[in-house]
Amino acid sequence: MKEEHSKALMDSVWPRVKRKHLFPEIPVPKVAEPAESTEIEAAPKEGVGLEMKGKQMTIHPAFLTQLKGKMSDEDAMEALLDHGVTHYTFCPWDFYTYLMLYAESKRVMTDKDLAKQVANHFIDVVSDTHCVKKKKTEIPQLYRHLTKGVIEETMVSLYQEIWGMDLGCSPSGKRKKTREAVIRRLTRIPYLDRTRWPESMQRFARSIKPLLLEQQEEEKGGTGKGDNNPLGDHDLNHYSHEEIDQGLRDYARKSMVLPEFREVVEDLADELKEAGYSMEGGMGRGRGSPLDADILFYMKLAESYSLPVRKTIVEKKGSLHPHSHSPWEVGSPYHDVDVWTSFGKVMPGITQIWKKREGKGRGKVEGVPDCLIAVDSSGSMINPRKTLSYAVLGAACAADAYLRNDSRVAVYNFSDAPMGGKEVLDYTKKREMIYRSLCKYFGGGTALDLEDLIPLVQNRKNLDLFVITDMKITNLETLIGYFAQINNRITAVHIGENPYSSRFEKAAENKKNISLFAVKRKEDIPNIVLGKIKEYFRETF
Amino acid sequence: MKGSPQRKERTSRHSERRGPALQNPFQEFQSYSFSTKNIPLDRIVQSTEAVMDQIRLGYEKLLEEEAKELVWMVQYNTIIKAYEVAERYVREIDYSAEDIEDFCFALENTQKIPYLIPGPAGLYISALCNYAKEEEIVLKLSELKTEINLLGFRLTKGKRLLIEGDGGDFTGIGLEGGDLVVEGNAKNWTGAGMRSGKILVKKNIGLHTGEWMMGGEIHVGGRVRGLGNIVEGKVFEREKMVFPGKVRPPNMYY
Repeated sequence: MKEEHSKALMDSVWPRVKRKHLFPEIPVPKVAEPAESTEIEAAPKEGVGLEMKGKQMTIHPAFLTQLKGKMSDEDAMEALLDHGVTHYTFCPWDFYTYLMLYAESKRVMTDKDLAKQVANHFIDVVSDTHCVKKKKTEIPQLYRHLTKGVIEETMVSLYQEIWGMDLGCSPSGKRKKTREAVIRRLTRIPYLDRTRWPESMQRFARSIKPLLLEQQEEEKGGTGKGDNNPLGDHDLNHYSHEEIDQGLRDYARKSMVLPEFREVVEDLADELKEAGYSMEGGMGRGRGSPLDADILFYMKLAESYSLPVRKTIVEKKGSLHPHSHSPWEVGSPYHDVDVWTSFGKVMPGITQIWKKREGKGRGKVEGVPDCLIAVDSSGSMINPRKTLSYAVLGAACAADAYLRNDSRVAVYNFSDAPMGGKEVLDYTKKREMIYRSLCKYFGGGTALDLEDLIPLVQNRKNLDLFVITDMKITNLETLIGYFAQINNRITAVHIGENPYSSRFEKAAENKKNISLFAVKRKEDIPNIVLGKIKEYFRETF
Repeated sequence: MKGSPQRKERTSRHSERRGPALQNPFQEFQSYSFSTKNIPLDRIVQSTEAVMDQIRLGYEKLLEEEAKELVWMVQYNTIIKAYEVAERYVREIDYSAEDIEDFCFALENTQKIPYLIPGPAGLYISALCNYAKEEEIVLKLSELKTEINLLGFRLTKGKRLLIEGDGGDFTGIGLEGGDLVVEGNAKNWTGAGMRSGKILVKKNIGLHTGEWMMGGEIHVGGRVRGLGNIVEGKVFEREKMVFPGKVRPPNMYY
């Protein structure tokens, strides 16, 4: 098909599709250049008709050529666009939904690739069914004319049943009975009920599993790899960095289960790295360091529960003023963009942001001081890399709150500190390093070494201290004695109730700068704990 | 001077200065007619839900009658009585084999079912299988976290029940000529009191296998942990007949 013809076709079809889908915020789809589609034309079978990257859809004219004589170019293009747009407007809608569906699929399939394949099929069934029910579309005609493998045939048979249309497909051959049973099960799933998608995804995976396993066996036997999905595979290419970030944050907050989060992130680690996603955010800086799923979990969870920090009187803390320029990255705040030097464009590499510096203020003004977080990682505390540790989550929330206020955070992670069971991180704004230190687990005895702590506190009048421990510290008296000497704001969070925490509470009674916060039921639902930490923040500062 | 030519001219000049008349930005939507089609999926899902509600209601009534204190002891009398109650409710429902499977998962996953008590749940599922229209019923239970007891209770002649996954205790007890296949393991008291029919457990089986068994066959693909006091019938372990055979004390571990 001539390129000009395809482009003209797109010009006529796209406004109609856009209007039909109530004007979604999607850029005008592209028609692939002939060079891009030569591979597809060379392939003996049908190639990919639609590709989606970010929000950009690309139609391959070679695919339309292959459908010539079966359906008109216009109808084929409209069907492809309907399919693509519905992915953005209905299912999966966002990265969180994709992650959730993948995780549910993985629960049943156990294999990463099969789980992805099943999640893709489910997403296609949901979005196409939505489109057929709610819009006037040529998608059924497209399915009628596509070349089909075993799985695709099963899917088309399913469409026949649930859409009530004859798409020229009926199960036959040696697997007829199995396929009929699979289709019978698949037709019962409430695909359009968004609230039941997790359960539906599991039912879908359970039903289709035998067919996929058979197909996998055949592929191992040398029958060849399964065909590409002509309507495009659903992967991380669909999402921007911000969407991935938001998706991970939502997934961490809604699942609240570390092993599940770790499994999903590790499964998608290659794609995430390929997309240039890193824990510190930003893009276009190479592949970055490998993702640590555990750290990412606490990071995203803490971001979800962003806590307010009450300001205090800080000396020499003037207001910020624009000082110099730095390149803008996706994810950086827009309000710092200098429109004059960015030529009015928001684009990495061109756009510049103002780097602000603190001016020399006169007298005393309000600000957020730096914070030293002391976190207990002795044997009596939960290992944060095995299961969700509320102590580490609390410390992570505190770290996030200070970092968001442009303050620096130091970490003193201790177990049996005098014997070397400790990690000290000096004041920094490097989020990943801070979280890495917080997540370190020693699992030994519990003793503080004041010699480590004093240099971090000394000569810093404006400094907050945040201690999170179960208070079962062997040299607790030394710590109480030290806290009695200093006037910094100290917040001690103790996990569980024990005689040591009562002792600390009694000692801190008369000290106005010390606030004690108890998390009595450490096994409680994380939300309750987080709610209490919020309360604590509000009361303390 | 209302409607005078000068005034008209002034108005048109004024509108020219303001530019073209303002257009409603949502104008295009006015002509857009939107209609939702009814597709067979709606009907299928609706009827499936209605059947599931009936099945769920029957189970809740069974629990109300037989497990008031949420405690249910496995005794001959309690089993018989609970099964009779289950039969009473199941007979009135028009369902398919897939509904039974959905119910098994609903027991674990749905908030609508308040509790899963493996004994009554197993008897209720057995009643559902025995009264199903289909001769062959496949239950894909391998993803279930809870093992359901008493599956295949009184499975009648001409029925074939295939369980993909593991069976709990008392699987296939009182079998009445049916054909029960367990793809995974089965626990203790499998086939107890069975009269006729065949049980095939593809993996291992627990203690008291075939206790007071009166007839029929039990085939085990893996190991039999212990045999019960068998009256009559045959037990095979990896195709080798272990009962009747060499005298072996009941429940001998080997």
